[in-house]
Amino acid sequence: MSVPVRARRRPRTILPRPQQPTPSKRSLRKGTRNRTDALTGWAMISPSVLLIGVFGLVPVVWAFVLSFQRNDLQTPAKWIGFSNYRQLAHDPAFRESIRNTLVYTVLFVPITLVLSLLAAAALNRRIRGITIYRVAVFIPVVTSTIATGVIFTWLMDPDYGLINSLLHKVGLPTFGYFSDPNQALYAVVAMTVWGWVGFGALIFLAGLQGIPTDLMEAAQIDGCSKRGAFWRIQVPLLRPVTGFLLVWLTINSLQLFDEVYATTKGGPLQSTTVVVYYLYQQAFQFFHAGYAASIAVVLFIAIAVVTVVQLRLSRDPSASGGRS
Amino acid sequence: MVAVHPNPLRARRRRARRFAASAAVVALVAGVSAACSSSGGGSGGGTTITVSHGYTDIEATELKVQVKQWNAAHPSTKVNLVFNGGNDSALQKTVAGFTAGNYPDVAYEYGSSAAQLAKQPKLLDLTDKVKAADVDWSDFYPSEQQAATVNGKIVGVPALVDNLSLVYNKALFAQAGIAVPTNSWTWQDFRTAAKKLTNASTRNYGWAYVNDGSEDTVWRFLAMLWQAGGDLLTKDNKKPAFDSSAGLAALQQLRDMAVTDKSVYLDTGNDNYLNLFNSGKIGMLWTGPWDLSSINANVKYGVTYLPGYKGDHETISGPDLYMMFDHSSSRAATALKFVNWLTSAKVHLQFAIATGDLPVRKSETTLPGYQTFLKKYPAEQVFVANLDNVKHIRPNLADYAQISTAVGQMVQSVMLGKAQPADALKSGSAAVTSALAGS
Repeated sequence: MSVPVRARRRPRTILPRPQQPTPSKRSLRKGTRNRTDALTGWAMISPSVLLIGVFGLVPVVWAFVLSFQRNDLQTPAKWIGFSNYRQLAHDPAFRESIRNTLVYTVLFVPITLVLSLLAAAALNRRIRGITIYRVAVFIPVVTSTIATGVIFTWLMDPDYGLINSLLHKVGLPTFGYFSDPNQALYAVVAMTVWGWVGFGALIFLAGLQGIPTDLMEAAQIDGCSKRGAFWRIQVPLLRPVTGFLLVWLTINSLQLFDEVYATTKGGPLQSTTVVVYYLYQQAFQFFHAGYAASIAVVLFIAIAVVTVVQLRLSRDPSASGGRS
Repeated sequence: MVAVHPNPLRARRRRARRFAASAAVVALVAGVSAACSSSGGGSGGGTTITVSHGYTDIEATELKVQVKQWNAAHPSTKVNLVFNGGNDSALQKTVAGFTAGNYPDVAYEYGSSAAQLAKQPKLLDLTDKVKAADVDWSDFYPSEQQAATVNGKIVGVPALVDNLSLVYNKALFAQAGIAVPTNSWTWQDFRTAAKKLTNASTRNYGWAYVNDGSEDTVWRFLAMLWQAGGDLLTKDNKKPAFDSSAGLAALQQLRDMAVTDKSVYLDTGNDNYLNLFNSGKIGMLWTGPWDLSSINANVKYGVTYLPGYKGDHETISGPDLYMMFDHSSSRAATALKFVNWLTSAKVHLQFAIATGDLPVRKSETTLPGYQTFLKKYPAEQVFVANLDNVKHIRPNLADYAQISTAVGQMVQSVMLGKAQPADALKSGSAAVTSALAGS
């Protein structure tokens, strides 16, 4: 099967070569032109730089500073060095929140990826009313988390919920969902997967539609089945898209908060207290802002590391000339 | 002793809290204040103060009306009313405002926030100010006075008061053929009735308990603990005191009902219980006046005191406060005058008549307008009378939120059948000990 391999290796070289800018042309007029270019460039991005600086960088730095303080946001702060971090290392509730976050991430990310891919494949067809189906799949993404939370608490109510009542009707066992400490985290996974599949499907669909149809046609002429072509041509070609989604979903699941806040509030018995919810509790219920900031810093570092690793792993080997 | 209490969680307020909370997280991470109102300046010769509140619906409408009255009568000292996004997040908003240097002159706050805000250097200490004759401080109910006091310092003026009473669905009692609750019901009467009202096949429950581990879970337990003669902390607020025979009795009663009889619907904290009460699925609630307006007109209900333990029908109350913060002496003086006026018997009774909120001053019940109030809200009479059954108050500690979380976990674990009452008391007590030590 030479077609898929080639396709995977060279997804972006379908453009005719001469159209790609060559370095030699650009280096002709360096000097002043470059400086004016740079100034114009900075002028154009300065609003964004300013906004990101004020709302992005400054807070990050401030949170970092805060993490070395005892600070209740009201009385003067006290410098306590690494005290918050030391305390964090021995905090069983924090450890539990990490465990919950990891369990959540390990379930949420792969399930969402696979379901998104399948949904995208199903939506990548020319059939009557396809727009309606596409909108239907995407609607959960634009639905407010709070609304989703309220709807799911009702759907998954152990006594009056639609899901249990259906299970009961067909003679299957029913569940406690959000009210059972052993099931609540999985219920949150189910709810968030539902909310995110539309987003994943949208990205995958865009990726699928970017794949030239002649590749698929060629495969079919070579006698490849539709299913085979999907798994051996389209899915490998979606590698950059999958990589992006993997990183994006992982970051989001490590930062899970809204859905927990809207449904279980970390309970029952802290079974859904994820890291950011714990941070929220420390910062805005107990007013331990310094301690909460140290949690934020730890989470920031963890996400940075995970993201770098994921980006490396999901990088297209052909782009850097081989596996890194 | 001092008083605290995260106020009853009203359904509508609670919804608002979620949005506000995400905003609050952004505020911390952003380190930029989450938008408080612009502070009123002293322009044009007069003084303008900012009053922030989280009232919605009828209460918000009436407050606006009253502020308009004040502004018409006091052209040189104007009040600028600002909605803070919901009372559930008032504390977070106010604190963020201090961080940004942009805070209201007067803020409506839950009693539970009193101890936190008492730390605020800008807070106006009212201890001497309430001694003025025109304030008539002793006219406020004692539990309100206590809720406004932190370490002997008076930090706010009572803005709203309520308490827990027993609300029951008359039709369900008639259907089950059992006598309706009375003011002298015992815990056993309550348990028996709840069991009779429960029907697994129709998914009917005798009682609903908010079992999300929040203060909503805690305060119903506290009422039972106090009835049984126990208390949350020792008198000096230094140690937990609920690992006692009273604590055991209260938790055992909860376990007997929720686990043994399965006669309790365990609400996960989304206020589903009220919809279920409206649908005739739940026979009895322990709730406050704020829920009455959400009960459908076709549901006929009655109200009594909470069932008692050996004749003690103590309940728990949640006074909220107007707290004042210093900008300048003229603004502080205006703030004080305005709050005094707003919480005076005559003006507050107007508010009560319009909204169905309980009187905050004892003398309101002696005014002629009070009869109008009772005629308009007949069910409120029990709640007003029940204010006399408020004996204890929650400890007014800055770390109360942590204590509450520990106790909430304890009650939750028993209700879910995950722990035996005696074991739960031990671990709950240990958790509270470490919360107190961490302060």
